[in-house]
Amino acid sequence: MTEVAIESRLTELWETPKNIYGWFATVDHKELGIRYLVTAMVLLIVGGIEALLVRLQLVQSNMHLLSAEAYNQMFTLHGLTMIFWYASPILSGFAIFLIPLMIGARDMAFPRLNAFTYWTFLLSAIVLYVSPFFHQAPHAGWFAYVPYTLTAYSPGMGMDAYALALIFLGISTTGNAINFIVTILRLRAPGMAISRMPLFAYSTLTISFVVVFAMPALTAASIFLELDRHWGTHFFDIANGGSTLLWQQIFWFFGHPWVYVIFLPATGMISLIIPAFSRRPVVGYAYIAISTVLTGVVGYAVWLHHMFTVGLSDVAMSIFSAGSMMISVFTVIQVFAWLATVLKGRPVATTSMYFALASVMLLVVGGLSGVYTGIIPVDWQVHNTYYVIAHLHYVLVGANMFPVFAGFYFWLPKMTGRMMNEKLGKLSFWVMFIGFNLAFFPMHIVGMMGMQRRIYTYAAGLGFDSWNMVITIGAFILGLGILISIINFFYSLRHGAVAGPNPWNADGLEWLADSPPKPYNFAHIPVVASRHPLWDTYENIDDPENDRVLDGGRLTPTTTWLDAVPVGIATIPEDSIAPLAMSLLVFGLFMAFLFQAMWVVLAMLILSFAIGCMWMWPNTEKEVV
Amino acid sequence: MSSLVQIPPPPIKLSGLSIDQTRGIQAVWALIATEATLFACMFGAYYYLGTNKDRWATQEPPHLVYPFILLAILLSSSAVLHWGELQVQKERYRAGRIALWFTVLLGLSFLVLQGFEYASEWGELTPDTNSYGSIFYTITTLHAAHVIVGVLILMYVGFQPHYGFARRTPHMPYQVASRYWHFVDAVWIFVVLLLYVIPNIQRYYHVH
Repeated sequence: MTEVAIESRLTELWETPKNIYGWFATVDHKELGIRYLVTAMVLLIVGGIEALLVRLQLVQSNMHLLSAEAYNQMFTLHGLTMIFWYASPILSGFAIFLIPLMIGARDMAFPRLNAFTYWTFLLSAIVLYVSPFFHQAPHAGWFAYVPYTLTAYSPGMGMDAYALALIFLGISTTGNAINFIVTILRLRAPGMAISRMPLFAYSTLTISFVVVFAMPALTAASIFLELDRHWGTHFFDIANGGSTLLWQQIFWFFGHPWVYVIFLPATGMISLIIPAFSRRPVVGYAYIAISTVLTGVVGYAVWLHHMFTVGLSDVAMSIFSAGSMMISVFTVIQVFAWLATVLKGRPVATTSMYFALASVMLLVVGGLSGVYTGIIPVDWQVHNTYYVIAHLHYVLVGANMFPVFAGFYFWLPKMTGRMMNEKLGKLSFWVMFIGFNLAFFPMHIVGMMGMQRRIYTYAAGLGFDSWNMVITIGAFILGLGILISIINFFYSLRHGAVAGPNPWNADGLEWLADSPPKPYNFAHIPVVASRHPLWDTYENIDDPENDRVLDGGRLTPTTTWLDAVPVGIATIPEDSIAPLAMSLLVFGLFMAFLFQAMWVVLAMLILSFAIGCMWMWPNTEKEVV
Repeated sequence: MSSLVQIPPPPIKLSGLSIDQTRGIQAVWALIATEATLFACMFGAYYYLGTNKDRWATQEPPHLVYPFILLAILLSSSAVLHWGELQVQKERYRAGRIALWFTVLLGLSFLVLQGFEYASEWGELTPDTNSYGSIFYTITTLHAAHVIVGVLILMYVGFQPHYGFARRTPHMPYQVASRYWHFVDAVWIFVVLLLYVIPNIQRYYHVH
């Protein structure tokens, strides 16, 4: 067969029909990855607007732009949106688009599960955002401490929306994690031994395991909260033998590993971007990989540092304080590896590199304040002040949003086929960088001065006014910087230079595919001979006998998890409407719980079982020749 | 950058390989891991609520007869299903299907008997009696929900047209469903041990 014949045969097998059915039924990881990115960016804007409203309320003392209740709802929605519906899904979006390309596969291991997790992610955001329209949004912060969140103090649907939306999102996140685990361990290209995997795949694999073992804690906590609120149980009711600390323990057992879930994949992205623009292999590949995995493991042994002020035993606090400081060692190893890569390489000043280097810097600042707050007496001093807000924003914006923008400037040419505008990009970077530091550095200072978080206004004469003015101005400048990047995106989509397969001359397999990639990713399954497949001299797609075309159906090879020796051929299912139908039913289930319609709950359960049977029924793959 | 170490992998013809059937089982192991963590959190909550309180031991502990009958039912159902899996491996599909439907029956009888068990406890303990009642009924009901899901999955597999290798069914549904069922049974062992046996032992030492 000629190349043209091979490509048309594969396109016929893999292409999603371009009509309404195809749009709702697609299981293509590239399409779903882009949808994840777009949805998460929209939610970033929503959360950003909420943050700006919060900042307007705090711009000077004794403001009454928002009422106390509206302020509480606003900062709670901001935190929830950013932490759960932006920070993790945006990284999932990158991973869903990139991981199959990076490891040389044609799709994820379970493409329909992939579609299901996208739809559930989208619909869970709707479960959360129904409540503001009833003026009953959740109002107790993203960690929702009891007893304030019980019905006695929080009537209305707000906290129900919180608990149900999080259980719903947990289904999506867990499904995603299982999909990544099997994909990364089994679908790697022949020769891509685990010691040759891209570091982004390492971090995604790590956080997938973290999600599998952490997400159930949030589910359990949310179940307890719902039962206490509506079913008469006494988990958090001290008068009947409950414990308010139970919530904090379970929540933070989930909560701190979650911090690494939204942090580690971003470091994995930096570990790919910095070497690509330093023009040399990353320094200390093995050390970065090991630190990534250890961060995920030790991340389970630090959760008590959120609770130093509740009166726990000294021994417990000391152990967790030590754990919190130990975990910084693993981050420091990565930081020094990145710095060494830049110093030993020949750096290229692109927008993506700017964002990557800035995120390293912000991560160091946030990491240092994190080490301080890991020290018990310091934590007692700054607990619940703006110092903590400054710390968490330096870490989350520095180690999630800046790497995400670096990732956008790096990989958008692969997704859209067009280069982003560098001038606008650098302008956006500087505006964002200045705005961010203007907004969040002064928070360290007002925090040390004693300004408390989550108080809707403050009295005049405490010395907070001018700093808060600076913070609010900084927040708007940061928003402007993000806006410039969004404008850049739409401008470049039309007017950008055509990218070609490998515009940055980077090393990963994803740069072997076309930009944007064909529906089947690779006409010949690549074979890998080193850590940097595109920088070595080995011909990855050299396949004169067409052995690796696999055009007898939708097929991709499976390999052993350690050495990536091919052992089988995976069949990939076709497009299906079932994932969407299933997510709509689960959505109906959670909405019925939210509005306490128990017959609807039962109906949704029965219907979703029926749809599940249709989904799994083995008759939907294209017949094989 | 030609100085990079490069070791080409041994050439293996992809066209000679058979269809991979293991991904479904790997995914169900991951699902079991996350579900097991959910139960671990529940057990953690059980002990956290019971810490530093006499109540867990001094209160009348749950009766021991029903849970052991239930345990016997589930363990025998696992044995039957495992036997069925072996039959499917030996391509005796009819025997495998009978074993699977027998497992479904055992699962349903478990649910009925657990209803009787709840009825026997309900007089002294309900979910809104205190936090002990809350966690006791939450854990056992969560497990019952898993039994229901397990029974539904088994019934679905029971209706499937064939169990042999088929290129169209690459995920080995019989084996996947049986892994999940064994997990549900294993959880009940922990429930019996932690919620029934140990409180009774504690009670015994408390009285004597």
